[in-house]
This record gives sequence, structure tokens and C-alpha cells, in this order.
Amino acid sequence: MTLMQKRILILLVIIIIAAILGRLTVRIFMNLLLGGSLFGGNFL
Amino acid sequence: MWGFIYVSVFLIVFVISIIVKISYHPGLKDYSVKWDSSMGTIYTDIPYGENNANRFDIYVPADNTKKTYGLVVYLHAGGFTTGDKSDDAEMLKWLCSKGYVAAGINYTLRDEKHPQASVYSQSMEIKQSMPYIAEKSKELGYPVDKMAISGGSAGGTLALLYAYRDADTSPIPVKMVFELAGPASFHHEDWKNYGLDQNEEAAANLFSIMSGNNITVDMIESDDYDNEIRDISACMWINNNSVPSVIAYGVYDKICPFDSSRHLINALKENNVPYDYFEFPHSGHGLQNDDKIYIQYMEKVCEYLDRYLGR
Repeated sequence: MTLMQKRILILLVIIIIAAILGRLTVRIFMNLLLGGSLFGGNFL
Repeated sequence: MWGFIYVSVFLIVFVISIIVKISYHPGLKDYSVKWDSSMGTIYTDIPYGENNANRFDIYVPADNTKKTYGLVVYLHAGGFTTGDKSDDAEMLKWLCSKGYVAAGINYTLRDEKHPQASVYSQSMEIKQSMPYIAEKSKELGYPVDKMAISGGSAGGTLALLYAYRDADTSPIPVKMVFELAGPASFHHEDWKNYGLDQNEEAAANLFSIMSGNNITVDMIESDDYDNEIRDISACMWINNNSVPSVIAYGVYDKICPFDSSRHLINALKENNVPYDYFEFPHSGHGLQNDDKIYIQYMEKVCEYLDRYLGR
């Protein structure tokens, strides 16, 4: 695996983590206001 | 350089993800419309009483060829202290697009200017508005001969009260009710989320404010309590003749305690009232984590509207 391939792989991992954390942040905030479980139902 | 790219990409994707999560609900688009004047006409702020808040909006469909129409009233949320009929414009437009006359009603909110307002006084204002809505519909050329009433949260409570307590005297025959997360009972033991099991005085105050009656700590444990809260407890008015109901509650609801919903369900069951109940297992008061069940709820609402109000 070349250095560039490794960097792109890291970038993909970062994108996935950021997307999950973004959705999770909204869910946590809404759950704090209204109640709700962290997982289950709508994806995250 | 690559460190900067990683951080930038993280932040950009994080923000986009938040925006998408808040705004993108693909399954729910069937229950809203892109409104334009070809669909109908909206008349706003029609008075029905002397208080400033005594106003309603009415949405009439473009098709004015029918002899009679079904009316759907949708009451706004806001914990009895905030909110406005315009909050439900999307829902009212959607109902109107289906051929119904739709109405959103404002009621006097409990705030600093109106410390006497209560769930009871609000429910009486809703009752007061109905002849005016019937009259206005007729005046506009859309006579209504049957109705459904609905709402969310506080609006759900007021809808249930009208459906079960006031339907017998309604100028427009009530055929069904549908609502989301509206408290239908005020048994103090269900309201532990508010710390009322630890502070009886707080409980007495809360239920005094809700009912508009002076409820004391002693009363809460006595038989008198049920009488004092009866006028605001929709589930206490259910009988064999109560209207078909579609109801939904969130298991994690902190605002309308989930335990309070069981009284409503039991009353519907015991009195053989046709009903459909949707439980949102991952959601709180906003029913926000179970879109699939919300879609099922709306499908059922459509089915009930077709069956009880017609097209």
C-alpha cells in the first residue's frame, strides 16, 4: 500500500466517524431535551 | 498539510451530518405538500371570542363542488404555555390537500399575562370555537357535517378532551380523534418525572395550575382528587360511545409521562372503543427516533380519515 493509499484510507475512516458522530450528537441532544434511547429506531 | 485536510474534512462532514440528520426524513414527505393557491385558500385570524388568543385559521380546499365536507381540527403543541396555530401550517395544508376543511385554533396560553389560564379554560375555549368554525365554513361555501379532532402534546390533550368530553354537544358530529403524546390522565403517581413523588406540594401546585382548581396536598391522596382532575382527564370521559381513536406515545417520554398513557389505553379497551395505539420504543416526547412507526401511525390516520370522514 502506497503512502497516498494510506492517506485516502484514513480520510475515509475520518469521514465515516464524522458522519456517525454528527448524527449521534443530534440524537443525544434531542434525547436530553425529550427523552429517548441512544440506539435503535432510526439509524443512530 | 495532511493533518489540516483531516481536521477540515472531519469538521465539514460532521456539520453536514448534523444538518442531514435534522432535516432529511425521506419517509415523511408523503405527509406534507408544497402548497400553492391551486390547492386551496387559507383564511387566518378569524375571531371566536373576546380574548386576544381567540382566533382560528381555516384552510379550504380548491374543490368547492361538494355538498358537504369533513372538517379536521388540529390543535397546536407547546405545554399549554407556548405555541401557535401557525406551527401546524404544514399539517393543516396537507389535510386540506386531501380535500378536508382544516382548522388550527389558538387558545389562551398560561403565561404572566394570563395566570388564570388552565388546561380546563383552554379546553373550554376550544369548545367555544366550534360553532364559529362551522359558521365560517358554511359562509365560505364549505358546509361541514362531520369532523375529526387532533393535535400533538398539549394539543393532543385538548383534542382528546373535546373528543371524549364534549363530542355529545358538538355542533359538528365528531367522528374520530388522532393525537400524539398528549397527557390524557393526571394521576399523580404517573408524574414522577417531575419529582412529584418527593414533593407533594409541588404536585398539588402543578395539578392546581393544570385543572384551574385549588388542589391541596391532602386532596391528592383522597377520593376528591379524581373529581378535581376529571374535567381535564380525557380518559375519565371514555364510554361505549366514544369516538374511534388513533394514539401514539413514546416510551422514554419525560414530558408526558409514558405511564400516564396506560390509563387511556385501558379505558379504550374496557369500553370497546375502536382504537389503534402506536408505541414508539426508542423515542421521547418528540417521537423523534422511530420514523418507521411514525409512518405507520400516519398510514393509520389516513385509513381512519377515509373510513370516518370520507374523501
